Amino acid sequence: MRARDLGLASCHTCGLLMRLPAAGHAHCPRCGATVHMRVPNSIGTTWALLSAAMIMYLPANLLPVMATTWLGNTQADTIMSGVVYLLHHDWPLAVIVFVASVLVPLLKMIALLYLLISVQRHSPLRKAQRARLYRVTELVGRWSMVDVFVVSLMAALVQVGALATIEPGGGALAFAAVVILTMLAAMSFDARLIWDQHGERYGLVEPTR
Amino acid sequence: MPPSSQTPVTYSELVACHECDTVHRIPALAPGGTARCSCCGAMLVRNPKGGLERPIALNLAALVLLLAANVFPFLTLEISGRDQSTTIVGASWALYEAGMAPLALVVLITTLIGPALLVISSLYVLLGVRSALPLPMLREMLAWISHLRPWGMLDVFMLGVLVSSVKLAGMADMVMGPALYAFGALLLVSAAAMSALEPHILWQRLGLPGNRPRAR
Repeated sequence: MRARDLGLASCHTCGLLMRLPAAGHAHCPRCGATVHMRVPNSIGTTWALLSAAMIMYLPANLLPVMATTWLGNTQADTIMSGVVYLLHHDWPLAVIVFVASVLVPLLKMIALLYLLISVQRHSPLRKAQRARLYRVTELVGRWSMVDVFVVSLMAALVQVGALATIEPGGGALAFAAVVILTMLAAMSFDARLIWDQHGERYGLVEPTR
Repeated sequence: MPPSSQTPVTYSELVACHECDTVHRIPALAPGGTARCSCCGAMLVRNPKGGLERPIALNLAALVLLLAANVFPFLTLEISGRDQSTTIVGASWALYEAGMAPLALVVLITTLIGPALLVISSLYVLLGVRSALPLPMLREMLAWISHLRPWGMLDVFMLGVLVSSVKLAGMADMVMGPALYAFGALLLVSAAAMSALEPHILWQRLGLPGNRPRAR
């Protein structure tokens, strides 16, 4: 039995289950958060954040994330050229970085896109698999931040005057934006919509009883 | 409908799966036990071993390690006789100096402010619940903990340290500072501290506020 069918909603912050008043929302008596049947406007918010992330994905990969000046020669590195460099020195690490900073953001955006479209079409198919996809998506996204940390560490360490300097590039900023935007998009997506039946209107409040 | 529409009727003995909305009666879990949703398999509630004492101890240890990891040099780079050290804050500062204040803020929040606030607010809530003292903002802090968790990225930062040292190995000699060891320990202790603290248990211990007025 699902909470919605019983006219009950659980607080998104503390999990307390309660009967919603006719107004459709209430203040949680335990933690004070506002409680709705579903995250309000979950689909619209997720679409907005996901679109922004997809736009930022281009500069994140095309712009250099850092510029290395070594004995007077300056070399700009993108995310991908950083992976290629690692491939020549330590290939297991190169695989990890490739997965974390190239594959994960891309697959995460595709996964969210698929979840959004399937929910909007009220797809009755593969609900359990989609729920698992969402869970994995939410879990792995933060690891993409690794390249931003690499850039900041190297920029902090390699400041030896004219000999060698590393400057962060605009790509790093765009890349951090992609990671944060996809994390926010995953958080704003209400996974319970996957399980809602056709005819139950997502984001709205009237319980079907 | 309840007579007053201000305060909804609550069911603290039930829980709805946060992923698929299936209602379950909260089971009595043995220490170390986990209850999963019968419909989608998501985790419903846990009962970590060690009660409130274990997360308090682990968070205290994390607080000490967090201080050590930020006070001492983290990594030192030696390029032709010149040393360049950095701390965790230094990594963020380098971005700020390069004119990337927003990025510097992101790095500072995920590597220092987030983890520090998480440890401090966890300790505050744990000690407040354990001592049953009516500390102010206890509920707000506990709500805050759940929102804060995904933004602490100590583990990701550690992977970043590993990748940077491989990339810099061809350029210069790297010396690991004492803070790096403290940071490694912090990583393990804070992961253990997080898994020892289940917000659900604390919410149940707190229960509903006795006669706290709640507007609207």
